[in-house]
Amino acid sequence: MRLQLENIGKTFPESKGGTVEAIRDVSFEVGANEVCVLLGPSGCGKSTILRMVAGLDRPTSGTIALDGRAIEGPGRDRGMVFQAYTSFDWLTVRQNVEYGLRLRGVPAAERHARAAHFIDLVHLTKFADAYPKVLSGGMKQRVAIARTLANEPEILLMDEPFGALDAETRWHMQELSISIAEETGKTILMVTHDIEESIFMADRIVFLSRHPGTVAANIVPAFKQGKRWRRKEEVLELDGYAELERDIMRLMRQQAGAEAAG
Amino acid sequence: MSQSNSRRPWITLRAPISRRNAIALGVACWVLFFLIWQLAVSTGLVTELLLPGPLKVLGTLGRLLATLDFWIDIGASVLRILVSFAMASVIAVPLGIVMGSFRALEAFFNPFMAAWRYLPAPSFIPVLLMWFGTGEGPKIALLFIGVVFFLVVLVMDYTKQVRTEFIETAMTLGGTRGQVLRTVIVPAVLPNVVVAMRQMLAVSWTYLVIAEIVASTNGIGAMMMRARRFLHTDEIMAGIVVIGMLGLLCDTLFRIAHRLLFPYIDESAR
Repeated sequence: MRLQLENIGKTFPESKGGTVEAIRDVSFEVGANEVCVLLGPSGCGKSTILRMVAGLDRPTSGTIALDGRAIEGPGRDRGMVFQAYTSFDWLTVRQNVEYGLRLRGVPAAERHARAAHFIDLVHLTKFADAYPKVLSGGMKQRVAIARTLANEPEILLMDEPFGALDAETRWHMQELSISIAEETGKTILMVTHDIEESIFMADRIVFLSRHPGTVAANIVPAFKQGKRWRRKEEVLELDGYAELERDIMRLMRQQAGAEAAG
Repeated sequence: MSQSNSRRPWITLRAPISRRNAIALGVACWVLFFLIWQLAVSTGLVTELLLPGPLKVLGTLGRLLATLDFWIDIGASVLRILVSFAMASVIAVPLGIVMGSFRALEAFFNPFMAAWRYLPAPSFIPVLLMWFGTGEGPKIALLFIGVVFFLVVLVMDYTKQVRTEFIETAMTLGGTRGQVLRTVIVPAVLPNVVVAMRQMLAVSWTYLVIAEIVASTNGIGAMMMRARRFLHTDEIMAGIVVIGMLGLLCDTLFRIAHRLLFPYIDESAR
């Protein structure tokens, strides 16, 4: 599994006529089993990049390829979890998780077994037959994650998946995502603007500047010793965490400063 | 603030009142209405020939309901509603859904539909009479025209409200265009389609009465026009009551159906 973005550019037409350049010359790669986080100030185009990987938007220039095949549109090899809740409210949790499998005609017995496995993975077994209306925000996001994983994508894309959650639920979800990454070996490309979240989750951080969005830094949190830590406080107390958080904050502030000056 | 709420809820802005009080107030308004009506008749303020009292109307309603003719009229009216509404729905619901799903179809049909909506359906009555004669044709056609264009646009608007994230999620799960339409857009919009149908059924009753008053020998509207010829004001008013009750019954049935068909809807989120 190898995701390659080469010289991606994106310009949007403006209402006044003319165009605005949102993203310029973005290149990076994501390798197998990697948790890669796209981090940057708001307006840097990180969500647009993720949507282009998902095939929901098209780059104006450059190419995106998964295992050497150029991306032409959405496909089940790139599953996406959105910030907004996307549990289909007319389906139970189980039916939601089975949705992708049903689309391609996976036999019922296999479908049930696979759904049960992933529902268990996100700790929702007790709610398997409930409708989304009784679920909390965090539980709805767990349904979305289970539904995407059950569909066996090559790569899991997450667009600020915990952005709408309260602080406590958010770090539970971050830890759950890490343990899922460990247990399934799934490759994850995630977008966030939360520095703490990015350092805790990421094997590698791709930091984007804005106007136009472009790769400003490739950061590997070396202090994590190449390991994934399942508890957030373990990472926060490691030597090197505070320094990295400070450095990234400075990068963010430079962006804001450039904005204020420009 | 909370003190004044608990002491004088009836005159405090936006203060909630108990359900029992709410029902009592609603009933009180009706009682007052009938009281004033009956009083106006009893004191001779209005001529009973033009406005019979509520008790007289109630008595007439009871007498009419005991006759077969009245039930045949009611049956004729209900049948017209059912047939015309089914025809309008069969066309409007699928068309509205595809118009709400594909921008090209919206661009093609919408200006046409929008223009028809602003033509009052009853203005077609003379030409409908010429085309279809005096049988069921012109009545069904009027009800159909009165409903179909509005229903298409309502369904289209509801379909456009289906959240983009639902559609994009289904696409990233490997859904084809047809699958997304069938397994996401249709189930997502269905509850609102039922709402739109409920709204348009009420409109349908309005056109029914117009159709039956203008050109019909049976149906509730025709019965009322017959009664007018003999100055049977009480029968006219009994007809109005029956139409009101039937409309209310339809509305209630749709509400119950909505609750039974879509148990998964989060009412608190509305």
